Amino acid sequence: MPSVIGCSMPQIYKFLTALLASTGCISLVITGEMNPIMMITGIGLFPGYYRFLRGMAPAPKWAVSSFSFLTLIVFFFDSFVISNDSFLGVAHLTITFQVIKSFALKEPWDHLQVYFMALLQLIVASELTNSIAFGIIFLLFLVAFVSAMVLSHFVKEGTTGKVRFRAPVFAISVLALFFTFLFFVSLPRVSGKIWGKSHIKSIRTVGFSERVDFGSFGDIKADPTVIMRVELSAAEGRPYYWRGMTLNYFDGTSWANTLEKVRIYKDGELFMIRPFRQEDAIAQKIFLEPMDNEVLFGMSDIAAVESAGYSMATDFAHSLFLPFKKGKRFNYLAYSTRDSVPVAEKNLLRYLQLPPGMEGISRLAKDITDPGDSPDQRAQKIERYLMRNYSYSLSVPQPPDGMSPIDDFLFNTRKGYCEHYATAMILMLRTLGIPSRIVTGFFGGETNDYGQYIIVRQSNAHSWVEADIDGIWKRFDPTPPVSEDVTSGISLFLDMIRMKWGRYIVAFSLFDQREIARFMSLPFRLPSMPELKSLRGTVLVIVFALPAGLMLVWVIMKSLRWKRYGPVTGYYLRVRDLVRKRGGAITPFSTPADVSREAVKTGMGSGISEFVTLYEEHRFGGKIMTEEAGANYKELFRELNN
Amino acid sequence: MERQSLKRLQESIESVIKGKSDAVKMAIVTLLGKGHLLLEDVPGIGKTTLAFTLAKATNCSFQRVQFTSDLLPTDIIGVNIYNPDTKEFEFRSGPLFANIILADEINRTNPKTQSALLEAMNERRVSVDRRTYRLPEPFMVIATQNPLEYHGTFPLPESQLDRFMMHLKLGYPALEYERQVLFQQASFDSIESMEPAISSEEILRMQQEVDAVKIDDSLVDYIMSIITHTRRSDKIRLGVSPRGGQFLLKAVKATAYYEGREYVTPDDIKGAAPLVLGHRIILKAQTYISDAERIIEEIMSVIPVPV
Repeated sequence: MPSVIGCSMPQIYKFLTALLASTGCISLVITGEMNPIMMITGIGLFPGYYRFLRGMAPAPKWAVSSFSFLTLIVFFFDSFVISNDSFLGVAHLTITFQVIKSFALKEPWDHLQVYFMALLQLIVASELTNSIAFGIIFLLFLVAFVSAMVLSHFVKEGTTGKVRFRAPVFAISVLALFFTFLFFVSLPRVSGKIWGKSHIKSIRTVGFSERVDFGSFGDIKADPTVIMRVELSAAEGRPYYWRGMTLNYFDGTSWANTLEKVRIYKDGELFMIRPFRQEDAIAQKIFLEPMDNEVLFGMSDIAAVESAGYSMATDFAHSLFLPFKKGKRFNYLAYSTRDSVPVAEKNLLRYLQLPPGMEGISRLAKDITDPGDSPDQRAQKIERYLMRNYSYSLSVPQPPDGMSPIDDFLFNTRKGYCEHYATAMILMLRTLGIPSRIVTGFFGGETNDYGQYIIVRQSNAHSWVEADIDGIWKRFDPTPPVSEDVTSGISLFLDMIRMKWGRYIVAFSLFDQREIARFMSLPFRLPSMPELKSLRGTVLVIVFALPAGLMLVWVIMKSLRWKRYGPVTGYYLRVRDLVRKRGGAITPFSTPADVSREAVKTGMGSGISEFVTLYEEHRFGGKIMTEEAGANYKELFRELNN
Repeated sequence: MERQSLKRLQESIESVIKGKSDAVKMAIVTLLGKGHLLLEDVPGIGKTTLAFTLAKATNCSFQRVQFTSDLLPTDIIGVNIYNPDTKEFEFRSGPLFANIILADEINRTNPKTQSALLEAMNERRVSVDRRTYRLPEPFMVIATQNPLEYHGTFPLPESQLDRFMMHLKLGYPALEYERQVLFQQASFDSIESMEPAISSEEILRMQQEVDAVKIDDSLVDYIMSIITHTRRSDKIRLGVSPRGGQFLLKAVKATAYYEGREYVTPDDIKGAAPLVLGHRIILKAQTYISDAERIIEEIMSVIPVPV
């Protein structure tokens, strides 16, 4: 017999209260937003609930009230002075209150307070994290919460017997999950957070703003944080270049983008950047982690994007900017083509701009190339030259005073990373009169066979070169190849789960709802009525799901009514089983008297008739079981069991 | 308290009717449930003795009516007789005006008289010449019929059988008791001089209290499913009527009360159902009522007992 089931009901009830308080506090801790003081405070739950479960006396009233008062003062101080964030303040307050409460649980009402606070903590935590761990904690909370609610009903009825409540708890949990799911799917998703601003930390990226300081890529190349995950429509050969944006102006220490942006609007379902044929395109489903930039990534070159939103910005270099995706998980479908992009701009001067002090570089460029070469040959020579003669390194010392980082790279250290290679190549091309620009994005990525998708990390950040070769933007990558680390199978599997979680739970959006609605309404759209499309899906969901849900409620209510006398019947049924196991003729059609008679026949203790009388009294007599009667009942059961 | 006086009642009846404690119990239960009893068995088994003893032990007035084919309704109800002194018609009450009536061989009389009796049983009052007379309380009819003799009988129709709460068979006494009976000088005088174990007022009060016995919803459902099963069974031509259900409910409450409980248990139902429902169903292959009781038991053996 499992020990938990063997516990008395009030004991399990107490345990669940402790569990709920813990899930609430843990959910806040895993957000990583709690300061060490709060973490230490939270540990106070353990002694508190240890004392409580052991049945030790609650803390004196004066101590509880004074601590609570103190906490309130600290809360106001905290909210408006220390963390200056009432949101975090609430989180801190609930943790402290939970700890105080753990030392002072007396009335049934106290338990409800604990549940309420735990719920509040989960709500706050949901705003602070996207972690899958939160999802697990939430499920735990849900099951514990339902069990506690059902148990509280039994405990209130004054029954003290062992538990036979798994079926109703299971049923209610399933129901709760079902409705949570239903609400999750059907509640309209509006952008923006409940609390006005998002509290979720976005990943700090470099290289995707209007101005990028030279040398900033080095810091992030060692960071394995996942930036995005990509599902490809069809197998596509490596290498993968995930193009972000281009920068064209270099002032010697930083790159900037001076291209004007234009707003583009949805054309049907797609944001069209340039015309393309769908058969030739590679479709990529891209799931972006929350980042602090506005850039949409995709294989070069993106021709069209299907995503939420009504408008986005682009520039002449076909970079895509979507301001509202900043700091959010975002997913979209990008269509890219392999054909080269013609140079559409008339004014190419901005791709020939050079910072002062280019004499050395200009000389080098001329040395590497022959005067009779075509631009393509020149570019290839420079690319090859850089790749062969310079070594890749992430540890690049600061250049000496008065020396530009590129001169330092080319003539002094002769080692650097992608930014150095790309910038050096562009400057050389520009001194030779070939228009070129730097592209920032990601290179490569790890294929996860579990989910058949590509994981792109912060460490995949890369920059390369696009040069105008005969009216076509051609890609050059002078950086020598670097071997990629291989991730273990388990972490790849976990990453797959994380991706599904992020995709289907956290980033579930109005866009997805429309997709579901569209799918559900497929059979009903034969005489197409576009304006009713999404509405019909919702109606369908309601038409099918609502009666199903109601029926489930009905079944559960009915089963609950039967199980209402829980432990009284539970013990009786176990005695009945016992008699049958000992060879008594017991069927579902046996009455209590039959059971009693059979029990005597099989030589069970004399307590059976008293036991059966107690059972009948409480089950059919409508008598409420008192503590003593309950204890007696249990005692008789134990005797019969032996 | 009630349990003790009922026990005393049972004991004093059993001092006369030996070895029939189940039948005696059910007879008392019928009395407590304000029902009427149908005794069916071969002659000479003690049906009359049971009825007479029950009446004496409860200090009730007793009347015995031998139902013959020429018996008229007025013979049992009573008639208006002209009183020359007052120059008015006076009602002379018949044997029906007693607490316990033994209607012996009820199937021997004509349907007219049968229906007069059964109407009185149901309504507990009689009307003569547009005047209504209430019958005394408690009021219980114990009818007997002989299962073997069919010649010259008028078998009771279902609608009238339905009015009896219970149908009992006494059966032969066990051997050791029968031996005693052989030597017993059966005399009604000795029963006549019996000390009542309980007063008829007490019986009346108990009849009131039976109504207050609790029955759990799940047991009501149990009764309902027994009844609906009788209507669905392929062995039964006519199932139990709603009135049958009412009687069963009454009977199980009275059983519980008799056992000294304030609530009904599944055993009360399982014990009473065959006796209460047996005579209310018509089998496809009509034989004896005892077969019907067996069928009811069969039905109950496939309905799970509420736990």
